[in-house]
Amino acid sequence: MTSEFVSIHGLHKSYGDKVQVLSGIDRAFSRTDRIVVIGPSGGGKSTLLRCVMGLEQIDAGQICLEGEAYVRVANRRTVIDRAVQRRIGMVFQHYTLFPHLTVRKNLVLAPVKAHGFAPSKANSDAERLLARFGLTDKLDVYPAQLSGGQKQRVAIARALMLEPKLMLFDEVTSALDPELVSEVESMIAELADGGMPMMIVTHDMTFARNIATQVLFCAGGVIAEAGSPEQIFSDPQQPRTRDFLRKMRSDEGFRT
Amino acid sequence: MRLDLNTHMLEQLNLHFISAASGRLLGGLLVTLELSAIVMVVSTFAGFAVAILVMSPFRLLRLPVRAYIEVFRCTPALVQIVWFFYCVPVLFNVFWEPFTMAVMALSLNLTAYNAEAYRAAIQSIPKLHSDASVALGLNRWHFNRYVVFPQALRLALPVLVTNTIGMIQQSALVALVAVEDLMYVTKSIASSTYRPVEIYTVAALIYFAIAFTLSRVVALIERRNRQLMERA
Repeated sequence: MTSEFVSIHGLHKSYGDKVQVLSGIDRAFSRTDRIVVIGPSGGGKSTLLRCVMGLEQIDAGQICLEGEAYVRVANRRTVIDRAVQRRIGMVFQHYTLFPHLTVRKNLVLAPVKAHGFAPSKANSDAERLLARFGLTDKLDVYPAQLSGGQKQRVAIARALMLEPKLMLFDEVTSALDPELVSEVESMIAELADGGMPMMIVTHDMTFARNIATQVLFCAGGVIAEAGSPEQIFSDPQQPRTRDFLRKMRSDEGFRT
Repeated sequence: MRLDLNTHMLEQLNLHFISAASGRLLGGLLVTLELSAIVMVVSTFAGFAVAILVMSPFRLLRLPVRAYIEVFRCTPALVQIVWFFYCVPVLFNVFWEPFTMAVMALSLNLTAYNAEAYRAAIQSIPKLHSDASVALGLNRWHFNRYVVFPQALRLALPVLVTNTIGMIQQSALVALVAVEDLMYVTKSIASSTYRPVEIYTVAALIYFAIAFTLSRVVALIERRNRQLMERA
């Protein structure tokens, strides 16, 4: 029995009375897991990730990290434990960096102002992280002068500054030009090799297959199918999964 | 009808007395500058704070602030100034110096206009910045101070400058409530020397110089910002 690192219990979320976005998600992952969530637009996968980050109001259920329930409902209101939330880092699809700050200031802002890091430690961490990922010469540059791929990599570095226990990636390559996608995916793969637990929402099936330990197919607000990458990609059981994968394959074939 | 220039009077334009009165003019100018500077600085920050308040989800906070903005944007500055000077001391049993009351009245006015400029700017900041800030553990205060305010200020700058220039012009109205600013001094010189043409022209030029300089300086700042923050 794997020890539970992240667990989601009975997660329900709707917008108003009509729109059910998540209808009962129950899932648990271990520390060594890398979860990739795939599925059609509007199926709930980004919402699921955002709930794990604690960005969304939920209607019912709870989410636990290392055994602590940090997202739960009390008196019809969502309660988030900020101290636990700080152990999670997230990178988004666009508008990631703060445009009015240099890369360096983007990286050290949160550690210094909100987490009490000493400026000298924050600066040396920033330099070390960027050096590790080959971005040292971008330290004192403004985001506008970076390519899309560089922006996303800096955004990942910014999240890593806070030494998170879990990283969430919400379609971080979906808005990039194709030739910039691989540099970002390589960086994520490197993090994975270093043992970082992560949850990834992506449309890139090849990347998903290579990096995942578990794949969740999320459609209609539920996890319609889940399993190892081999199971899901080679032998999907559910018709919805099959249809989705067939469509994704034909799109990818067309693009390459 | 031909426009007849009063050539007789123009021949008698005597600029000598202007240099004689320059001491008083300078005094009035300093008052105007001091007044404008304080109001400008206060309203640049207060305008942002008011914009945040008027966007609050709490009705108890939002509605009174909304009412304040509407009142000060929908009444003439002159009425606001006069009302402040004559009614506030009576109604609230306080007495402040004319200069202080002028600063307060003009600040309330400029802040209301700035708040609207900031509100539009804040709403154009992508919501994902808020999500990214949560993910980075920044609380509401840090988010507003380090992420929203710097961006909103840059975005709203053209309108803020326009508003500030408007305020500098309207500051001339405080002459009517005995604040010894540039306008007051000008009027006083004009009536004592019976030479309105020269002195009012000089005053107009001075007001123009102040506002124009401000707008040029800000244009330079804006250009530098654009170079840094836009796609190379």
